[in-house]
Amino acid sequence: MLQEDHPLVKSAGAVSLPAAELNEFVAALMQKYPVVAPIPKGREYVFAQLEDAAQLAKDYQPTILPAKKVLQQPLETIFSFVRQEAFAEDGKCTSLGEEKICFVDNGAAVQKRILFGVRPCDVNSFNVLDEVFCKDLPDPFYCRSRHETLIVAQNCVKPCRSGFCYYQQTGPGLQRGYDLLLTELNDVYLLEVGSEAGRELLALHPFGAASSEMSLAKDELLAAASRRLPKHILTRNLAELLEENVDHPVWDDLQRRCLGCGTCTMVCPTCFCYNVYDKLDLGLESGVRQREWDSCKLMEFSQVALGHNFRKGRQARAQWRIYHKLLYQQRQFGKTGCVGCGRCIYSCMVDIDLTDVAGTLGGE
Amino acid sequence: MNNLLIPDSAIVRDVFHENDDTSTFSLQFTDAQKRLEYSFQPGQFNMLSIFGVGEAPISISSSNGSRENFTHTVRHVGSLTRMFAKLKAGDLLGVRGPYGNGWPLKQAHGKNLLIVAGGIGLAPLRPAIYNILEQPALFGKVELLYGSKNPGEMLFRHEYRQWAEQISMLLTVDDASGFDWNHNAGLVTALFDKMQSVPENTVVLSCGPEIMMKHVVKGLLARGFHSGQLYVSLERKMFCGVKKCGRCQVGSKFVCHDGPVFSYDVLENEPAEIIGVLGRE
Repeated sequence: MLQEDHPLVKSAGAVSLPAAELNEFVAALMQKYPVVAPIPKGREYVFAQLEDAAQLAKDYQPTILPAKKVLQQPLETIFSFVRQEAFAEDGKCTSLGEEKICFVDNGAAVQKRILFGVRPCDVNSFNVLDEVFCKDLPDPFYCRSRHETLIVAQNCVKPCRSGFCYYQQTGPGLQRGYDLLLTELNDVYLLEVGSEAGRELLALHPFGAASSEMSLAKDELLAAASRRLPKHILTRNLAELLEENVDHPVWDDLQRRCLGCGTCTMVCPTCFCYNVYDKLDLGLESGVRQREWDSCKLMEFSQVALGHNFRKGRQARAQWRIYHKLLYQQRQFGKTGCVGCGRCIYSCMVDIDLTDVAGTLGGE
Repeated sequence: MNNLLIPDSAIVRDVFHENDDTSTFSLQFTDAQKRLEYSFQPGQFNMLSIFGVGEAPISISSSNGSRENFTHTVRHVGSLTRMFAKLKAGDLLGVRGPYGNGWPLKQAHGKNLLIVAGGIGLAPLRPAIYNILEQPALFGKVELLYGSKNPGEMLFRHEYRQWAEQISMLLTVDDASGFDWNHNAGLVTALFDKMQSVPENTVVLSCGPEIMMKHVVKGLLARGFHSGQLYVSLERKMFCGVKKCGRCQVGSKFVCHDGPVFSYDVLENEPAEIIGVLGRE
């Protein structure tokens, strides 16, 4: 075993860890930071803060909600406000005669933490969301969380139930965007270092050396996983096909089947839209402004005052989701809006499959 | 990192009732430094909050030459804007902004302007009109076509006499019954037969219901205008104003950031199924 000051650990891009010791490493991480990782829930998996390293699901299907929920929480308080004298000292107050209103920024403090066992599709979704939230006019909530979250990712050596990441170049092996990257090789994990912060985590546990054989084994496993993915999406000329086929019968079919339930957008790792509302306490003296994930598949999404709705029909909404994922998000942010996790396909109650839609447009 | 979603506070200094369901609110930031720093362009909007009720995008309706106070003209038809009807001088509001791109007035320097507005759509155009009135030498001939449901619903009526000294105005209403009305009746597009504006060297600014703008665009294209000289201001649901909440997306554009003013040649090739009636049919 190598100790933290061993030159190999300090200089290495990779180390190894016996599979049986993974929980010990996780326990060591938990000593230092809160660790959010996939755990079983019923027959599915969810990301949750670990209370015990044994909770960790090492080999798991995609979680119900994407890892995005850790950085852009489903429900967030944007700020609190209160009408009274002498409120929280760090709040920002405005006096107006006898009236005084104070704000507290609820996004100010974020704890450092580790997101452990994230799959390449979810890590790639962060790269997409970074463009949305952190480029110009940075969103304080997402960007603060992102900055304080260490990513310990895990390559997919086995294909999942409905993924097509290989064709979106987002998996099953991860290229960038991690602090540490795990690959399971039979009874040993290969750990690759992606950042200085990741390297520092290696000091928390003794590791073995990584070998070139391990690196080769990783490549072979990932190549095999790529070939065995359950889904395939047509990518060649897809932008042109979408542009030219706005009236294609496939959209009528979609309209007939889509329930407009919004599930596909709730489970999507790159969906970023939200709703905002104010809540007042019963005494009308204080309140909060909150935001909550929202879905373009729901009827009220585009409705404005007086009831006009810019995407009222189910077809318009179903079509919009796919156009945004596969065409517009690329134009807006330079990255495709689909990371190929397949959650929308697996979760759809009426089996709508955007890989089928793309294939139909391409005459497959 | 600043929380850009927390508004600044502003006081309502004055309320002017335009008509039964629309009022113009004169606002002033409570913070003296903010009053000095704040500036905006005609056609931009602010996110206005009533704490405990909500926040919505509302166009600025005053001259950008005056920075101490600015006005918003609000029609009381939504859950938030109905609460605006209860505001009085001295009340507190939240204001974030300005957001959006505004009207292309610089590109219109040295050119003629045709302004076509419907209903509350005149509000975001009023700062542009003031801009023209304050610097007439920068523009050629300016013509305003304005339509509303009835004469009582027309906005800023007390200012028309002054406007008409410098710009030619054609007014029309859907229904004038019960009013003393000696202007036109019918849709705003019917005024195209009476207007002096010609396509040559003219920039068109239009704001109103989207279906009205669709017919404005169609009518002007048929009269020899080309899509690159037509500018429309779009309305969409917005919860952030800063390209995050996703509500205002029109194709690959964010109305809050890339708009609300768009050259029609940006919209005309996008499918109507995706972007709404102004798109390609």
